[in-house]
Amino acid sequence: MQVALKIWRYDSSTGERALKEYEVDAPEEATLLDCLDLIKDRYDGTLAYRKSCRMMICGSCGMRMDGAAVLACKTRMYEIAQAGRVPVISAMGNLPVVKDLVVDMQPFWDKFRAIKPYLEPGYEQPEDGREYRISQEQMNVIHKESLCINCGCCVSECNAMESNPEFLGPQALAKGMRFVGDPRDAATVERLEAYNSEHGIWECTRCYFCNERCPKGVDPRDAIAKLGAESVRLGIDRDMGARHAKWFIRSAETTGWLRETELVPKTQGVVASIKQMRFALSLARHGKVPPPFPPHVAKDVREARNLRKLVRMQDRQGALGHVQGERALERLAHGHAGETLEEIYARPGAAPRPYLPGDETEGAA
Amino acid sequence: MIAKHDVLVVGAGCAGMRAAIEAHDAGADVAMISKLHPTRSHSGAAEGGINAALGNAAEDSPEIHAFDTVKGSDYLGDQDSIEIFCAEAPGDIIQLEHWGAVFSRRADGKLAQRPFGAAGSPRTVYAADITGHVLIQVLWEQVCKREITVYEEFFAWQLVVNDGRCQGVICWDLLRGGLKTLGGKTIVMATGGAGRQYRATTNAYACTGDGMAMALHAGLPLKDMEFMQFHPTTLYPSGVLITEGCRGEGGYLINKDGERFMKRYAPNALELASRDVVSRSEQTEIDEGRGVNGSVFLDLRHLGAERILERLPGSRELAMTFAGVDPIYDPIPVRPGAHYHMGGIATDSDGATELDGLYAAGECACVSIHGANRLGGNSLMETITFGRRAGRAAAEWALSHTTVEVPESAERDAERELRELLSREEGERPWKLREELGQSMLENFGVFRREEGMARQIEIIQGLRERYRNVYVEDKGHVFNSDLTQAIELGNMLDTALCMVTAGLARKESRGAHSRPYDYPNRDDENFLHHSITRWRDGEVELSTAPVRMTKWEPQERKY
Ligand SMILES: Cc1cc2nc3c(=O)[nH]c(=O)nc-3n(C[C@H](O)[C@H](O)[C@H](O)COP(=O)(O)OP(=O)(O)OC[C@H]3O[C@@H](n4cnc5c(N)ncnc54)[C@H](O)[C@@H]3O)c2cc1C
Ligand code: SF4
Ligand code: SF4
Ligand code: FES
Repeated sequence: MQVALKIWRYDSSTGERALKEYEVDAPEEATLLDCLDLIKDRYDGTLAYRKSCRMMICGSCGMRMDGAAVLACKTRMYEIAQAGRVPVISAMGNLPVVKDLVVDMQPFWDKFRAIKPYLEPGYEQPEDGREYRISQEQMNVIHKESLCINCGCCVSECNAMESNPEFLGPQALAKGMRFVGDPRDAATVERLEAYNSEHGIWECTRCYFCNERCPKGVDPRDAIAKLGAESVRLGIDRDMGARHAKWFIRSAETTGWLRETELVPKTQGVVASIKQMRFALSLARHGKVPPPFPPHVAKDVREARNLRKLVRMQDRQGALGHVQGERALERLAHGHAGETLEEIYARPGAAPRPYLPGDETEGAA
Repeated sequence: MIAKHDVLVVGAGCAGMRAAIEAHDAGADVAMISKLHPTRSHSGAAEGGINAALGNAAEDSPEIHAFDTVKGSDYLGDQDSIEIFCAEAPGDIIQLEHWGAVFSRRADGKLAQRPFGAAGSPRTVYAADITGHVLIQVLWEQVCKREITVYEEFFAWQLVVNDGRCQGVICWDLLRGGLKTLGGKTIVMATGGAGRQYRATTNAYACTGDGMAMALHAGLPLKDMEFMQFHPTTLYPSGVLITEGCRGEGGYLINKDGERFMKRYAPNALELASRDVVSRSEQTEIDEGRGVNGSVFLDLRHLGAERILERLPGSRELAMTFAGVDPIYDPIPVRPGAHYHMGGIATDSDGATELDGLYAAGECACVSIHGANRLGGNSLMETITFGRRAGRAAAEWALSHTTVEVPESAERDAERELRELLSREEGERPWKLREELGQSMLENFGVFRREEGMARQIEIIQGLRERYRNVYVEDKGHVFNSDLTQAIELGNMLDTALCMVTAGLARKESRGAHSRPYDYPNRDDENFLHHSITRWRDGEVELSTAPVRMTKWEPQERKY
């Protein structure tokens, strides 16, 4: 098949930047990475990009296709080529470009290191000199976070990092959750204190772009939510963000809906809210917020309260309140129409039905 | 020389990182050099697991593990090293767990262990189907904790041998450009495998045998290079590994007529016969015209969508992404592909080579615990146990010596060689040669080997080496010049491939992964129970032999 690509070329030593178009003849199963290889080999040896495993596990080949981060080795070109699209390939966002599709990963790794990315065991080692005994269920809490391959796709698309490069960012925080959720780690409080400080979890804008772009189903935004829930559970709630979240819960529990007028003083404190008074009044004038008195109580408030009770009863406070692994599974469960095996064997163009040699009865394999 | 360290580790996969951590803990000033960021190393791609006789799932002991390994090696493994390996592996696994490795667990909270091919007991510790990834992450975490220096995206090119000692490494700085020399009292090579010599391989683009070639060029012996293990189910065409778990779950291997051909080769074990048996059976089907596009099929359709989605989601994703095949509806095209290199830089049980100051560990080394055939799960364990031992030995040697000296002439020679390569304005681009090497190695030095094929392959490689002298690097720049490093990698692959085929041609027997069904179908202990040793002499390969170190196991016939 013919595959056409436009690639943003860039050379940091000269500062030159140009959008160049290439066309290659690639096999139908070719990925974006295969096409880049063909371009580099056949047309332009100066094209720069990272690669190694070509099987979605090393995290080398993050780049942007039409403005959204992808792993080049995970991106099949067949449908794109069939549709006659000419995608634009460029380097990942939020990281300085070194050359063509290669970015400087130093800021990424600096943040990684900043969250203390190693186990702080602290507990006494088992007396028999053997492994810690931990149930698989306990380990499942960090299943998704431990899938991260450090590719940077989430960081590339993070809106909070775009406006504030100091923000720890989705990858580092997901890694943080990997330790906070690990029953062997004894530094939970110190970690949460650190992740709650400036440029920590509460700076996330909840745009969910990181969940959307992560090629491994890590769901960093969910990890950040888990860190928030754990912080609140352990009383680490000085940050405005934490108080904001707590007020949501309190508000839902008491009246069954969000009391916006109280949100500001609860979150920012009384002094700050007085400063916001004029803004609040103008909102009220335009009907954007209801008058605070008398407080309106939702008809089905009991349901909201029961939900809270259930969470407490099941002891699913903190990170455990987040369902584990659902997106990673959902991602894979597409494309099956529920045919029987006979129907599958009878599909047009299907491969022959398997049989054991010497076995006379057809289909007995 | 831009910097000096006590211990320099070249390579930052499982073996390299484990060595660096150990050297650091032994009190040495250590740094790692790696052409990839450490977590990008190919150790991360390992899926199945890592072997240690913990006995969590069933009765097991280091002795049983050792016997399995000796037998699996077709009696070519060095038994003293195997005994050390099996005895120390359990402690190393426990330590990884204490460092935070996210292994899978049993109901009683202990580490889970699964059965693996040719093992007398379920002793493979694992983390779902991402064992290598989990190991790479935990080692990288420990490297960060210790703040060990990493010369990241430094491409190691040549070893500096001075005064009868290995004292430095000359590297090309990928990100910034330029030759950079690093000095070390000891150097540990941990550069991984060389599967890229083959067109069909499970190995990453970075697995080009650089460390083996560097040692070879520095005059060191490479051992048992003819032994390349083929994995029976690598995806056509990309070569990505489809896990043995697919057959474990009940998948069928079929030829183009739908026949489950394994019935004719292994009537009892069928698809679950050992790796080498399955690879050879598939290759016979393909050679006799019952394949399609040089591959056969792994049929999972009868397992049903639910089971595939639940148990084998990773394999389904790989098949869909890289072959455009959804295994729920269509069988997966697979063929044998180069997977693991048993041979490498010859070392003793401490990773020491015959050159003072030079050590090696991991897939680039040959200790040798795998002999003629590696057991699944033993190589990850090898990277850890022998990575640690090499790191310890290198640190101890370094701490008892003071000087590091890299003569200017070494740097000047490298500079000149590089200029020559970069200043060539015309010639052949490397990719053509690389493709020809990959194709011809698969044809002539693959699962089956024939006298004529190997002889022809030596000529082909010599021809390619001749053409390599005029290879042309198009990128002349300094920043991320992967055109240059790919050219150097090609040279490394050509020279190591020459060692492999030379050693293979001389081994007139079938042993482990070296299979010659047409002229020498049997193992011949009388004449070939020895290691093959290849050295570089004036740009050509010199072949010799070395005895196998035996302790308590006499060779027996290998039957499963
Ligand atoms: C798909 C796959 C699955 C596998 N599954 C298993 C399994 O389940 N169990 C098992 O036991 N084994 C398995 N293996 C084998 C095992 O993973 C490898 O043998 C082992 O990981 C090799 O580790 P290493 O540290 O020696 O090399 P690698 O992890 O390959 O690391 C090599 C390092 O050297 C660096 N390097 C290389 N050349 C240079 C250079 N010129 N300059 C600077 N740095 C350089 C690289 O950057 C890298 O950091 C598998 C292998 C593959 C390919
Ligand atoms: S959800 Fe938060 S962390 Fe994720 S991309 Fe958006 S701002 Fe960044
Ligand atoms: S969280 Fe996902 S997108 Fe982000 S670095 Fe990890 S694997 Fe990549
Ligand atoms: S090349 Fe490794 S993730 Fe794409």
